[in-house]
Amino acid sequence: MPNVKINPNDVMIKLCGLQKCFGSQTVLADINLDIRRGETMVIIGQSGGGKSVILKHMIGLLQPDAGKVIVDGVTISTPKSFDARTIRKKMGMLFQGGALFDSMDTGENIAFALREHHPELSEKEVQQVVTEKLNLINLVPEFRTKMPSELSGGMRKRVALARAIALSPEILLYDEPTTGLDPITSDVINDLILDMQSKLGVTSVVVTHDMVSAFKVADRIAMLYKGRIIEVGSVDEIKNTTNPFVKQFITGKRKINAEGQN
Amino acid sequence: MSFLLKPFRFIGQMIVDGISSVGELCCILWFTLREMPNVHKNGNLVIKQMVSIGVSSVPLLFVTSIFTGMVATVQASFQFRGLVADKWVGTAACKMILIELGPLLTALVLAGRVGSALAAEIASMREKEELAAYEVLGLDPYRYLALPRFVAFFTMVPCLTVISNCLAIFGGWIVAVLALDISTYTFYSGMQYLFDPMDLFSGIIKSFVFGVTIFLLGWFHGTNAAPGARGVGLATKDVVVSSCLMILILDLAVAAIIFQ
Repeated sequence: MPNVKINPNDVMIKLCGLQKCFGSQTVLADINLDIRRGETMVIIGQSGGGKSVILKHMIGLLQPDAGKVIVDGVTISTPKSFDARTIRKKMGMLFQGGALFDSMDTGENIAFALREHHPELSEKEVQQVVTEKLNLINLVPEFRTKMPSELSGGMRKRVALARAIALSPEILLYDEPTTGLDPITSDVINDLILDMQSKLGVTSVVVTHDMVSAFKVADRIAMLYKGRIIEVGSVDEIKNTTNPFVKQFITGKRKINAEGQN
Repeated sequence: MSFLLKPFRFIGQMIVDGISSVGELCCILWFTLREMPNVHKNGNLVIKQMVSIGVSSVPLLFVTSIFTGMVATVQASFQFRGLVADKWVGTAACKMILIELGPLLTALVLAGRVGSALAAEIASMREKEELAAYEVLGLDPYRYLALPRFVAFFTMVPCLTVISNCLAIFGGWIVAVLALDISTYTFYSGMQYLFDPMDLFSGIIKSFVFGVTIFLLGWFHGTNAAPGARGVGLATKDVVVSSCLMILILDLAVAAIIFQ
């Protein structure tokens, strides 16, 4: 578990009464969640339960049907209420598949946004930042010439993480960072998530159903069930929970008995 | 009762979808044109697209245009043989190629070759969340993806139309001299006879419209593709079908405006 001082009253991301439907299907019924500055919040829940939808609301890729998303004091839940470009410069996101730009090599992927947002930087300075970010994710600078198609799943996620931190964001969102990876590569990614928190001091939101990963990286864990956050707590609190649904999920049992106990 | 209402519901839904699609196409055009002042900052992306859309299409156009010119000339000769003098074969072929065949066939070939490629590329980028990644990085996909493609389509389709016209006339001349016993002088004097510069310009004006149409429909079907490989396949098919249909409709509309 990370060891970073977090002020419980300093809220970085606030979700108030978030609701979202796709057609007739209600994905988020009523989401209320505070994410503190500097902490790593892990959102767990079943596949297709709406975890990624919450992340997309946090970065303004989706707008809620009702409710508010407040990021660092700015309400971003209505299209015209915020400057997307400014708020997104504060945030980085690691997509499930990496979402690297296939037509660009690794170095270009990392440098692209940097060049566009900081035209004042010389090419030499841009390349320095690329090297620095590759070092942060423990990749040698020679990787910059590799095309995304030449990278393994784990490498793609590491490069995508380097791209996400290229603009030195204050918030990092991770969408299923360990899905599809072997346990050792998953652990490498988990260590990188912890490194990002300790070295860069970022606020992290991790969406996952990998409990090994969740227990390793989380300061707090929130459980999403049927469109609602049914429990929020520290790793120990979640491990010792009495909530039958949370208990069922973290132990991976298919059924809960009539008394709600496994 | 509900089964009686079904056809009306279906027609109503089609009308609503049609209006919504037209609205979305207008939005795509507006969002792309809005980024036009930044076009000089993305010069390398524009050139890359011009090469991909324009230069790479020349070999295919070379074959289709030459054969089209040959067929147009042979048909003109067969249909008019014995009725009019040989020089009219050149006149008919030239008019057909410049006004209709050149721009129309170029647009149809490009709709199949690059329109489908655009839809497949954008659908695939959407599927792999690359479009979302642009937005998350604070980069507007319309500026970095749509604008270079728009400029490339807008400029390259007319250029390719002019190339196609030249190649088709060349093909017509080859077949006239080698197979129809029409001399070079007769063929080219026939081309000059009744030549109106408006024939050429009308084709080029049409090609600008066709270029924008292929881009808009390619982007529209790419960004609205259903998930998965099937979605990419359907988007590719839809863009070819809708582009061909729109090109034919717009061909008639533009011709009616220009030649009225």
